[in-house]
Amino acid sequence: MFRFQSLDEDCTLEEEDEGLVEEEDEINQFNDDTFGAGANDDDWQEEHKRLAGLDDRDGLGTELGLGGRGMGGELDQGGAEDPSFTHLPSSAGHLPLPSSHPSLKFSLSSAGPPPDVEDRGGGVDLAESLARLILEADPAIAGVGAAERPGPSQSSSCSSLSDLQGLDRPRVLPQSSTISHPNQPHQHSHHPQHQLSPGPLGLPPGPLSSMLSYQQQQHLLRRGTAPMAQMNSHSIWENSMGFGPLSVPPGLVTHMEDNPLMSIIKEVGLPKRPHQGGNDEERDLSERVPPPRSSSPVIGSPPVRAVPIGTPPKQPMSHALNHQNSPLCRGQFPPGVGTVLSQIQRAQMLNSQVVGFPRGIPAPPLLPVGGSYRPFFGGPPPPLGHRMGPPPHGHLNHTPPIRHNTTHLHPQHRRMLTQRMQNQGGDRGRTGGDRRSRDPYSNLMTQKEKEWVTKIQMMQLQSTDPYLDDYYYQNYYEKMERRQERERDSSKKEHTTKLITPQVAKVEHTYRPVQFAGSLGKLTVSSVNNPRKMIDAVVTTRTDDEEKREKQVWNKRRQILYTVEKMYSMLLEVQDFEKRFIQAPEEDREALLEQHKSNTMQLCNTLREKEWDDRVSDEQCVMIMSVRKGKRLISRLLAFLPSPQATAIVMAISRNLPALAKKDKQDQVLCWLVEPVSAVIQSLSSSALTDLLQELQGSEGQLATVLHNKFGVTLLYLILSEGERMQSSDPNCQLMDDNRWTELVFSVTRELLSVPNSSLSPPLFTPPNLLSLFSRYVDRQRLELLQDKLQ
Amino acid sequence: MNYVPGTASLIDDIDKKHLVLLRDGRTLIGYLRSIDQFANLVFHQTVERIHVGKKFGDIPRGIFIVRGENVVLLGEIDVDKPCDTVLQQVSIEEILEEQRLQQQAKQETDKVKMLALKDRGLSIPKADNLDEY
Repeated sequence: MFRFQSLDEDCTLEEEDEGLVEEEDEINQFNDDTFGAGANDDDWQEEHKRLAGLDDRDGLGTELGLGGRGMGGELDQGGAEDPSFTHLPSSAGHLPLPSSHPSLKFSLSSAGPPPDVEDRGGGVDLAESLARLILEADPAIAGVGAAERPGPSQSSSCSSLSDLQGLDRPRVLPQSSTISHPNQPHQHSHHPQHQLSPGPLGLPPGPLSSMLSYQQQQHLLRRGTAPMAQMNSHSIWENSMGFGPLSVPPGLVTHMEDNPLMSIIKEVGLPKRPHQGGNDEERDLSERVPPPRSSSPVIGSPPVRAVPIGTPPKQPMSHALNHQNSPLCRGQFPPGVGTVLSQIQRAQMLNSQVVGFPRGIPAPPLLPVGGSYRPFFGGPPPPLGHRMGPPPHGHLNHTPPIRHNTTHLHPQHRRMLTQRMQNQGGDRGRTGGDRRSRDPYSNLMTQKEKEWVTKIQMMQLQSTDPYLDDYYYQNYYEKMERRQERERDSSKKEHTTKLITPQVAKVEHTYRPVQFAGSLGKLTVSSVNNPRKMIDAVVTTRTDDEEKREKQVWNKRRQILYTVEKMYSMLLEVQDFEKRFIQAPEEDREALLEQHKSNTMQLCNTLREKEWDDRVSDEQCVMIMSVRKGKRLISRLLAFLPSPQATAIVMAISRNLPALAKKDKQDQVLCWLVEPVSAVIQSLSSSALTDLLQELQGSEGQLATVLHNKFGVTLLYLILSEGERMQSSDPNCQLMDDNRWTELVFSVTRELLSVPNSSLSPPLFTPPNLLSLFSRYVDRQRLELLQDKLQ
Repeated sequence: MNYVPGTASLIDDIDKKHLVLLRDGRTLIGYLRSIDQFANLVFHQTVERIHVGKKFGDIPRGIFIVRGENVVLLGEIDVDKPCDTVLQQVSIEEILEEQRLQQQAKQETDKVKMLALKDRGLSIPKADNLDEY
């Protein structure tokens, strides 16, 4: 129940940042806060020991944040007396001595005489006395009875304060020896600003306690159980705060105006509550804003928990819990009381600003403690940040000008205000309080649990687009705010209490999956924040024109491939014909032959596509040849084609050789054609051969290109060699009849000579009779050169 | 309300006496001890109050845990306010008997009604309290 959490030395003023810094902590906290802080790794036995030890302990140190400076000094002095408080001096050493901070001294109108406390506390049940205290501290009651018994109330507050202090000190000391130094300056800075001016009833705890002697404080402490005392003193705190001096010092007002919220934020934003060893509880209950949602696959995943998600906070020790019945004493007790109280103070401060306490209740005294004590005494899970007092008409602003994490009223503050409001109405509140105080089953739901539920509810209010989620609410409260503004325009500037829901930034989280180069897919690790993409469709945007062009290209290619495939199947049939013919029985052979013929026809026809005459379509051929498979096809096909078509094809090849060569650059499969082409060439007539040679040299510069290409060179040589063979073998060869052949050969030789050796592509084979061919046409010198070239 | 200003929260109702009407028609009165984010309620010293006409009877039930979805309405009972004197408290047996009689009467009227409708060729489907479907 008592959370002894080590003070975190890093708890400094930069809480705002820290609150959002550690991702993992945030995420843990996020889950904790959302789904329960079930993962309390407290060892209940340890806790029990601690609690028991606490009870037994003589002097619960009086180290308390609230007004602790001044008190601390006092106690420090007193601490030396008692051996059990040997810690005190050391601890006090951390704290500034009162002398160093005179501003911290609260001025007391009248300090209750310590003996009062003793007398009263002697045989009276502490609970009752404290309960009475609370009631007495009630403004309505106090107002009535103030004049009568200022002393006892003061002294009681004093005693309770001391109780508080006493309880706080020892607990904090053994648990956490480190009192964050950075906090001190922070607190110091706050202190001067907060000045308590004494009121009729107001009992700033500091001076009072300082008034009390150490002995008396100890006595007080011994009287009750630790929790009791704490709780009661806690309530006392509240009361004293609530009914503090009437006037708020101007400095305070300024301060309040300046950064009431800032101080809250600072306090609330404290990222690290001091933790007890092994306690990995949520770090900062007040941290409303969830950690920025990570879209990374690793970090977004919920952490593995030993305790399943969804477990509510663990119940604190019941024995400590059920002791107190005071309605104002809830939750866990100091060491965190200080922080709680400070928050309450602030809340009251704010509330007073806001509400103006229309009923005339004086603004609460601003204890110089401020929220700075929170880091000191992480103590009980710090309340969910500061709770804004409810404005009388429930003014709420959903969209704060500044983004705060929380502005919630502290539950004790709430109770105080409720009580106050009730008391204004009559005695109902008091009786309610009475009843509650007598209810032995009250507070079954711990403060922590309440906060946990509230936290969940708050988180449900988060919205990236409040106007979308809750349009009417937003408008309604805007109107109310405007009305309030108008009403209060003349009066002092006040802050309306607002329900500030954390605004979650609308961030587009895009997860780009990891992809290894060269792999087909992308690595996807799905997590809560990054659900896996089932289909990773890449959208490529292309303009219409581009698309059309691309489409056309693809369509054409597809068409070619299709044609090639069709022809292939026909070709295969044709090729298999012979085999089948042999195997087929007699009667089928006719049919087979017919089929064969038709197939062949079809093949030819395919080549003739788009042409109205019987000529082989050049275009078609080239198209087919542009595909590697097409070239293969042609090479196989040539053997089966009738002579004229074959010739035509060869003509087409040689005519379009540059283009084909270019297209073939990647594949280099033109040479497949050599064999069938040579076969065709050998069957050519002389005129055809001449034509062929002419085709080969067709356009300007074609021959050069031909010579660059292996196939081209081979083809050329083949033609030449065939011509030579014709000439040499057949005396009636008509090759020389027209000058074309000679001219062509001459041009070939010219080209051959002019072409540098490097660019001349080596043929597949060099026919031997080339030289003899050339010898007919060129002189010796050139012949020799050509000879070189041909090697 | 102060916990989360501007919204409704049950936190402030804790430890107060409440009356809750459940979806099955039962009325429970008890001290609300605990809640959660689904508005599941934990009642202490619960009493089921059966009303028949001007009479009512309280059946002590102890501790109740009510699942949030079954709550129709929930309201705090002001213990200070003087109780209505119109209603007369009777013993448990008596109120149960009265209830039984009431149910019986209702069933009979329903039967008659159904018969009359049937004669006219109409039929009203049975109203199912389980309104999930």
